[in-house]
Amino acid sequence: MRGLFRWSGKWWPGVIPLIVLWGFAAWTSTVPLENDLASRSSAALKGAVLDKTSIAVDGRDVSLRADAFSETGRRDAVAAVDAVAGVRLVNDQTRLVPEAKPFVWSAERDVVRVTLGGNAPLPALKGRLVEATRAAMPGVEVSDQMGLARGAPARFEDAALLLIGQIGKLKDGKFTLSDGDVTLSGMARELGGRESIAAALAKLPDGFKVASNEVKAPPYIFQAYKDPVAVTVTLSGNVPDENIHAVVVGSSSRKFFNEKVVDNLKNSVGAPANFVNAVVPALGALSRLSTGTLVVSDRDIKISGDALYDAAAAQIRTGLAKDVPQGWQVKAEITVKPAAAPVDPTVCQQLFSDLLGKAKIRFETGRADLDRDSTGLLDRLVEIAFRCPTANVDIIGHTDAEGDSAANQVLSQKRAQAVADYLVRAGLPADRFAPIGYGSTQPLASNDTADGRAQNRRIEFVVR
Amino acid sequence: MAYFVAFHWAWLAGAFGIGLAMGWIAVVHRAPGVSGWLTWLLAAVAAALVATAVACWVPGRAGYWLELLLILFVPYLVGCAIGSWLRALVVMRSMRQRSAG
Repeated sequence: MRGLFRWSGKWWPGVIPLIVLWGFAAWTSTVPLENDLASRSSAALKGAVLDKTSIAVDGRDVSLRADAFSETGRRDAVAAVDAVAGVRLVNDQTRLVPEAKPFVWSAERDVVRVTLGGNAPLPALKGRLVEATRAAMPGVEVSDQMGLARGAPARFEDAALLLIGQIGKLKDGKFTLSDGDVTLSGMARELGGRESIAAALAKLPDGFKVASNEVKAPPYIFQAYKDPVAVTVTLSGNVPDENIHAVVVGSSSRKFFNEKVVDNLKNSVGAPANFVNAVVPALGALSRLSTGTLVVSDRDIKISGDALYDAAAAQIRTGLAKDVPQGWQVKAEITVKPAAAPVDPTVCQQLFSDLLGKAKIRFETGRADLDRDSTGLLDRLVEIAFRCPTANVDIIGHTDAEGDSAANQVLSQKRAQAVADYLVRAGLPADRFAPIGYGSTQPLASNDTADGRAQNRRIEFVVR
Repeated sequence: MAYFVAFHWAWLAGAFGIGLAMGWIAVVHRAPGVSGWLTWLLAAVAAALVATAVACWVPGRAGYWLELLLILFVPYLVGCAIGSWLRALVVMRSMRQRSAG
């Protein structure tokens, strides 16, 4: 041992090559060592939920810079790097992701893309939201402008995914989640889109509510065009459902007795309230025109065309606004068709007979009130009456044989009177018309069949 | 430490080799030895360096290089001791043969 101590005094010259060796070792091993530690530190953080992770190694000291989403996650990340073999010190530059108050997330749709904005609570969830948007909108560019922040409300993901599922129903617009409040704005792609979105939002998770829903639908359009050349009435646009479809077409067939009804209507949800109560009177007004167009856009009714005589134009202008339900706007641009040339009374008789051969003046059952579906027919009778100003006309009412014959006589008289009153209101002199009631005394057909009875209930115009 | 040995085993082996050679030579070397007070001074410097390394006072690469130097000294000194011991054995045996002859 003593010898070892004595010899050790002479070991110092070996330090010189040792220093040289150390120099080489330091020269060649530093960068590989740093790279090795960096790669193993990254591997250690693989499962950690972090954002903006950056690892810098200086010698054996690791600087860890990262945004963590919880205090535990932050501490675990630092501990994981510290546990990597070979790491001497961890320079902890981690921080918590800032907390957003309120926590806002949005999805915005425009013509070419969907932009996801605001904040997502976790990177993985951010990725899932982008993927869900791509899946919901194939072929549409998805722009991810989401940041990351803490403070998302519970069940944020469910709410955001629900909104993403609805974004395809928008033509353009924006869905925003602000804490538990959902705000919607924009324009639905189709009729009914607004209602469909509102229905889907009923399934929002607990804690979320719709703060405002400003999604608008495209205008609900119904159109009718009366073409005097083709002798057609073309119905196009939307009706709410099959029942109202049938009501509108049925009513049109009765009102437009002379024209063929072309039905191009489509059933769509999203109609304004009282749709049928507005459209049927508007069709009645159109039936009084010789040529005309009816456009119903949401609650705006626009009717334009030529009335058959002055009083009819005035009645349509003022009457339709009163007939439609409250809240509906009527814009009537009615002109008057130039009066047709006067004709002989015999021609007039022929015209009356031809017209009444095509359709009958209808009354409400058992009463002398004119059916509104007959207004178009009555206007045409008025037009003919204007063409033979010298002719006096007997307006003769007939009934079927059902019920008491005296009552039938009174009813037929009243009905003839109602028609005469209509002609007088149209501006014709009252003394030209003589209302007569024959009751059931002059049947055209047998009263034993429903068809025969229908033929017997009639009004006749006889030029004297 | 295990990481160091695994990562730097070749350099450590080199330091051990240098130590072994130095120890072999030192037994018959006629150079002057280190004087007593200098020994104590060197020991104090060595202790200070070890303390510095253990306490991680030197940051970054410099700290790593200090650790590398100190860690290389360990196999060097072990090599010196083994080298000197082996050489002493050889010298003693040859001296015994010479005196017997």
